[in-house]
Amino acid sequence: MNQNSPKRTESDRRAKESRFGRLIRRPEIGAFSGMVVILVFLAVVAGDVVYNPLGIKNNLSIIGQLGIIAIGACLLMIAGEFDLSIGSMIGFAGMSMAMMMKWGLPFGLGEATPLTAFLLTMIMTLGIGCLIGNIVVRSGLSSFIVTLAFLFILRGLTEVCFREFNEGSTQISGLPDFKQDDFFAYLFGGEAFKWVFSLFYEIGWNVNRRGEQWVTGLDARVAWWMVLAMVTYIVLSRTQLGNWIYATGDNKESARANGVPVRQVKIGLFMFTAFCATLFAACQVFDTNTADAAKGNLKELEAIAAAVVGGTVMTGGFGSILGVIFGAVIFGLVQNSVFYISWIDGSYYRVFLGTVLLIAAFGNENIRKRITGGI
Amino acid sequence: MVSASGTPLVRLENIVKKFGPFTALNGVSMDVYPGEVHALLGDNGAGKSTLIKILAGVYQPTSGQIHVEGNPVNFRTPRDATRAGVGTVYQDLALNQLMSVTRNFFMGREIYSGPAPIGIMKMDEMDRITHDEMIKIGIDISDPGQAVGTMSGGQRQTLAIARAIYFGAKVLILDEPTSALGQRQQMEVLKTIKRVRALGTIAIIFITHNEVHSKLVADRFTFLSLGEVIGSGVREGLAGDDIRRLMAGGAEMADLEMELATI
Ligand SMILES: Nc1ncnc2c1ncn2[C@@H]1O[C@H](COP(=O)(O)OP(=O)(O)OP(=O)(O)O)[C@@H](O)[C@H]1O
Ligand SMILES: [Mg+2]
Repeated sequence: MNQNSPKRTESDRRAKESRFGRLIRRPEIGAFSGMVVILVFLAVVAGDVVYNPLGIKNNLSIIGQLGIIAIGACLLMIAGEFDLSIGSMIGFAGMSMAMMMKWGLPFGLGEATPLTAFLLTMIMTLGIGCLIGNIVVRSGLSSFIVTLAFLFILRGLTEVCFREFNEGSTQISGLPDFKQDDFFAYLFGGEAFKWVFSLFYEIGWNVNRRGEQWVTGLDARVAWWMVLAMVTYIVLSRTQLGNWIYATGDNKESARANGVPVRQVKIGLFMFTAFCATLFAACQVFDTNTADAAKGNLKELEAIAAAVVGGTVMTGGFGSILGVIFGAVIFGLVQNSVFYISWIDGSYYRVFLGTVLLIAAFGNENIRKRITGGI
Repeated sequence: MVSASGTPLVRLENIVKKFGPFTALNGVSMDVYPGEVHALLGDNGAGKSTLIKILAGVYQPTSGQIHVEGNPVNFRTPRDATRAGVGTVYQDLALNQLMSVTRNFFMGREIYSGPAPIGIMKMDEMDRITHDEMIKIGIDISDPGQAVGTMSGGQRQTLAIARAIYFGAKVLILDEPTSALGQRQQMEVLKTIKRVRALGTIAIIFITHNEVHSKLVADRFTFLSLGEVIGSGVREGLAGDDIRRLMAGGAEMADLEMELATI
């Protein structure tokens, strides 16, 4: 007989981990390292154009824009569902807001302000998100199919509405620059962190050729992204709702058996992706004062890809906001910055992103297997 | 050691369950006492799972009555049963593998402060309670943040049991809790059962096909065959090979209709 000494306790079996040891075992570490590698690479090959005030502004603009919808896709994916309609929802919401600003509110409600156009559009998109969510949870169909259907439906409706009400054109351009004197339009289309760039100017970095301040601030969407990231970070990691989201995506039967309102969680998250898409569209419309039926095309796939690169597991139950932030930075940077590097054909960025996506998916699957493998 | 005195915590009276023309249970009665392990034994298809599903509110009986603490009850949903204090630990345990021990323990019943779904969870308090409750029935989890998927089968079983008890289960139903486990982990679950028994207030219904296990932990036995009780008794009244024969449905023993005395 071979017996253990009775004095050993369970906690003796766990080696003390250093803070660093715990850090490198975090699931976001892959995305974080990837981000660092790219930041360093860009510094080496194109530091002068990427790390100047204009480069920072442009890169963060792309990153923030993608980041907003990636957060929506990430939360939904953690709850075990997909939304392929995000891109079409962006087009729909952008069309809706721009048309209202140009032709007035529907149903004879009179002139539109940026606020009323935004709110009315948000009500519609949340309604559509609610409809999608209800179809998914009630029919038991895969969300992949249901939202694929809405990808087509919404894009088609957007084009039809444009042709019907916009004198046949599928674009609107040349709207007045609302952000100049409407605070609400400025919230979406204006600039944020101006004081940082003034500070840069004070210290003599943010100066153009004529000796004036060069870049005045970041696009508002970057601030929206940060706010959204902060709120969802707290919700996901600290609140009861966060626990429900993880529980729903992990194993919805056991979540339900323990009293988690699985259906409401899913429907709510489909509405949240619609919210993110509308926010994306509002930033675009009030920044550029244009809309186009093709806006948002393929964005749903980029959002899902950023979530996966950020460590979200495709089958649900695992992922983090920190990860999806890193994922959005990687995607946005690579998409935007390779064009600064003259010796690379810009289209290689797709090759690169595809490869990164594949590696990330392998890594995530590994983590999932490591956790669920052992009985 | 057997507290046969007092009212039973749960009394099943003449439970009949018919699935269409098929009679799964034909008038089964059974008393379960607090502080006792009641082994429910019988061959495959005898009706054990059907019986406990009725007790857990999954099925409604065709006829018969359930009493909890002396009062007649009528469970229409599993939720009714949970509320009345009947906790079932199913084979799949209703655990989420990717989530931590604490998050599983409090899944759907989180402790939080603030408005309902977006209240901030009191993670430290929840960690502490989870740890304490698991210690009570014998498992010292060193890291409440560990993912359940990385725990052993016995540890998971214990987590599910601790959770059921913490959230008010007075009757704990364990349907073949040892069947999918290795030797060592089977022992771990048996130890957990003994510790829960030692709490003194909780009644345990333990379904198993393992004769040795039932003899190791059970105080009282009920044998089912073809939907009827073919024998019951306390541990002292049963010889070793009685158990084996009754578990097999009492096939070769015509005189096994006898009620085992000492109830
Ligand atoms: N929903 C149902 N519809 C029809 N027949 C059923 C249903 N559920 C169980 N039965 C039948 O009732 C009988 C008892 O089944 P039960 O699952 O209770 O057996 P058991 O004693 O738990 O067996 P095992 O030891 O194999 O788990 C079986 O013959 C089974 O086929
Ligand atoms: Mg069974």
